[in-house]
Amino acid sequence: MSPFVLWLSRLSAFASMPAVWGIFFAGAVIYLIAGWRVRLLALIVQFFFIGILYAHLFADRPEIALLKLIVGWLVCGALYLSARMREEAIPQERRFSWAADVPFRALTLAVLGFSAYIASQRYILPFVSADLAVACFLLGALALLFIGTEEDTVVVGVGILNLLAALDLFYSSQDPGLLVTGFLVVVNLLVGLAISYLTVIEVAE
Amino acid sequence: MTTIPGPVLILGLPLTMAVLLQLLRRWTTVTAWLAAVTSVVLGTAVISLPLTQTWQLGQWQIRLGAPLWVLGREVVLQPVDRLPVTFLFFTAAGIFILAWRLLPHSNFFPIGLATTALLVGALLVTQVVYAALLVEIAAILAVFPLHEGSKQAKGGLRFMTYTSLALPGLMVTQLLLDLYAIFPNDRGLLSTSAVLLSLSFAILLGAFPFQNWLSAVTDDGSPPVVTYIFTMNLGVVWFMLLAYLQSYTWLSEQAALGSVFNILGLLMMGLGGLLAASQQRLGRLVGYATLVDNGAMLLALGTQRIGGIALAGIMLISRPLALGLMTVGLAGLRRLSAGDDDRETLRGAVWRAPWRTAAFLVGGIALAGFPLSLGFTARWGLYRLIAEQSLFEAAFALLSSAGVMLGLISAMRALLAPPPVDKQGRVLGLALKEDLIVVLLIVVLIGATFTLSIFPQGISRVALEMASGYTFFAP
Repeated sequence: MSPFVLWLSRLSAFASMPAVWGIFFAGAVIYLIAGWRVRLLALIVQFFFIGILYAHLFADRPEIALLKLIVGWLVCGALYLSARMREEAIPQERRFSWAADVPFRALTLAVLGFSAYIASQRYILPFVSADLAVACFLLGALALLFIGTEEDTVVVGVGILNLLAALDLFYSSQDPGLLVTGFLVVVNLLVGLAISYLTVIEVAE
Repeated sequence: MTTIPGPVLILGLPLTMAVLLQLLRRWTTVTAWLAAVTSVVLGTAVISLPLTQTWQLGQWQIRLGAPLWVLGREVVLQPVDRLPVTFLFFTAAGIFILAWRLLPHSNFFPIGLATTALLVGALLVTQVVYAALLVEIAAILAVFPLHEGSKQAKGGLRFMTYTSLALPGLMVTQLLLDLYAIFPNDRGLLSTSAVLLSLSFAILLGAFPFQNWLSAVTDDGSPPVVTYIFTMNLGVVWFMLLAYLQSYTWLSEQAALGSVFNILGLLMMGLGGLLAASQQRLGRLVGYATLVDNGAMLLALGTQRIGGIALAGIMLISRPLALGLMTVGLAGLRRLSAGDDDRETLRGAVWRAPWRTAAFLVGGIALAGFPLSLGFTARWGLYRLIAEQSLFEAAFALLSSAGVMLGLISAMRALLAPPPVDKQGRVLGLALKEDLIVVLLIVVLIGATFTLSIFPQGISRVALEMASGYTFFAP
């Protein structure tokens, strides 16, 4: 077993719940801050926390968790390239800025996050551990938030990726079969590429 | 000598060809025709070769009906799938030929062929979860050619988003069905499955209130690819819905099923008709006309008769012709005004692009289901069938189709208006330099639309045969 897989596996044993909240706070950063560099960094961190949960889920096959983590970071790489191209076409004056209507966004985020947490306590997902259930609900809430309230291609794309991650965590808890896992990896990769492509064509000459 | 199962050929050949076509992308004629020929060959093989017999192809023995096992999951061509799969291959071939002169050096041909394989795979695979994942992958892949050469990307993003939103419902349904196999007394699992399946299919078909992606795709997407998505992707979703109603009898036995289809269908038709009637943009008009057509198909299913399924089948078969014409027309009209398809911008377009204008209008009339089109045959049959149950519903459906026609008449008034002229009386704007092959394709499509409207018996027979495979409704 590679040292990184071993380390990820050990980390997952005691850091599942912090990772769940890490996912949510990384999502909050993506939602509240407009600079693409900060958003991309938050997405990398979010994928890392999701990777920890996968390591917890695939405790006997940590290489699958590693694969999913690498795919997530590959998607980040694709998004980085397209964000750079977009910046070259439409230069931005400031690297860091709050998103528009921050108080409204913060309120929506807090309400949705709280609702998702309450829902995870109230509606028990079958065969899903408590921390993973919270993660599924929070990721689902973030996905709905990004998809429903954002126009930016990358943020909507992150919403789709969060939705897929929630689904993957839930489905893999029930049926950790290789075929569905493989399909979901392909879907994630393709969504990342498609988002990257759509971001670029909006500014292409 | 080993026997190769049919799915290896049906799915493997287009996927292999797709890789080859990607390498040959520079030569548009070669890629378009190779894609079309591959689809025609496979469609012919599926419909003409017996499923149970083994046939020799060189040193290989192929049995079309033999199952393929992938990690314990069955992929098999069943008798009921033959006509849908043939329809998909032939439709794909037609769209490839249509796109031949419209999309030079496009990656639509390789991606379209690969997507066709995935969509066919979704029909052949026996478990919901894999079908859902294949439809999702096909949708994501379709996004790439959809926005080739475009500056807008909202349509593809919406399409991908909505397809992704439908995925959890379908995947969780599979889990619930697996649980039901273990706990057969828990009927709650079935009710939840029915709700999730309905929601997912409503999203995938663009039913109210999820219709928004249909108009977004037509608004800024490449017209031939829009035709592909609206006929192939939506066609597969339709066949999947029929297959699940057939496989899961508890679903078709739900008391509220007919009413749900009726209400949803009427809502889609009403909303689509209203939006189409008030539409300024020609691209969006295509989207709303498709929404009305989808609504009509659901309404046909809501009759809970085999005749209803056959009528929906005719609508599905006639859709590529109507949409093909509309989108070829739209592509040309957009070229006149640098991508803008507002009807006021295109005032007098008939003088500059007569063939494209004719294609758009004839296609529109066919999609609206008005006389001298194959769509009319199906719609008229539908109104008569619904009128037996409720005259109000029939009148409402007819009025909704009239809404599309009203939108089309407004477009017609602008397109057929005298051209704008300068002070010297010269016509403003250049005439579209028409490609002779595109004109020929338009003539063939218009001819086919008119001929099939006068002699619809052949198509009706095919649709009835297709419907006879689905026995979940009493005859």
